[in-house]
Amino acid sequence: MTAKDDRHIQTLLERYWDCETTLAEEQELRDFFRGGDLPAAGKPYAPYFSYINEERSVTLSEGFNERLKEAMDKEEDRSKQYITIRIFAPLLRVAASLLLIVGLGASIFFITRQNNKPWFVETYDDPNAAIKDATYALEALSHALQTTEEASLQTIRVIDDLDIDWSAIDSLVTDEVEADSLAALSQDDDTVSRGALIPTVKMKENI
Amino acid sequence: MRKTILIITIMLTSVSLFANGFVTQFINKYGEEDRPLNNVNIGKTMLDKMAANTEDEELRSAFKELKSIRIVSSEDAKDSRYYFQKANELIKEEFGDYEEVVSVNERNSRISVWMKREDDKKQDLILISLDENSKLSIITVSGKIDLKSISRLSGTLKNESAAPEEKAGEPGSR
Repeated sequence: MTAKDDRHIQTLLERYWDCETTLAEEQELRDFFRGGDLPAAGKPYAPYFSYINEERSVTLSEGFNERLKEAMDKEEDRSKQYITIRIFAPLLRVAASLLLIVGLGASIFFITRQNNKPWFVETYDDPNAAIKDATYALEALSHALQTTEEASLQTIRVIDDLDIDWSAIDSLVTDEVEADSLAALSQDDDTVSRGALIPTVKMKENI
Repeated sequence: MRKTILIITIMLTSVSLFANGFVTQFINKYGEEDRPLNNVNIGKTMLDKMAANTEDEELRSAFKELKSIRIVSSEDAKDSRYYFQKANELIKEEFGDYEEVVSVNERNSRISVWMKREDDKKQDLILISLDENSKLSIITVSGKIDLKSISRLSGTLKNESAAPEEKAGEPGSR
């Protein structure tokens, strides 16, 4: 390398650090430092330009752009989905409530329907064995009803034996009913004098 | 949301509890291992079979109309008195929609019959009795119940009926 070349490189380096170099000059510097024959003044910069050259040699893998585009499209779709969910969120709440109500209704319906079915395990498989218990149940029920009937009849017989003057009691009841009717009429009709109430009171006192 | 789930659970539990009949509730609530109870359950299928098997016309028509007969009894006098009291408590506390149709309080026996009428074809009847030997019988009958025709059955049934025997090991018995 000549002294002139050496100075030229020094000038380019100074311009480079001052960020004044053109693209062609930067390429010239990179080419220079890629070569093995370096002056002593340029050696400290060799690793730096070597690093620059290495980094520039790194290229994107095949189909990178397509993959990037695809990923971006996916991201866009996802954001669209999120917007869709946000739009339909109130509707989803309504749908969830409806589903809950329908589910509850169905549960109650089936439980109520089950209520009509026997809620137990049959004791017998053989109807001839079951008939004894079934008839026992009906007999007990029948006995209870007959006992009540007999008790009622006995009460009536006891009352009959008391020798009560039923006609006198009936007439008293009839008089009271008639007096009550008169009283009711006097309350309904303003034209009836207050004197009409007096017999009612007396009649009740007599009773 | 937790409150809603809790309310729904309580509602469903109460509905399903209510769905159990008197006998089931009685056994679940008061049945004790050291106070054994006999339990006999006869469902609609068996009642239909029995109706087909019997020759007595009145009994056949009674069986046909019924949906279930369940019997709970106790052999021990002391246990019977205990369970009789509990059965009466249960019917008053949990079965308020039943009406007392018959009540007999004699020196040696006590009988009360309770009934719920849902419609013409569905009535539920509960009989709780403590007989002269202090033995408990709880009988529930469900279906179309004609008290007049059941009352007339007594003479017909006397030859066939017998107190339920102990059904140890039978399904549904305790």
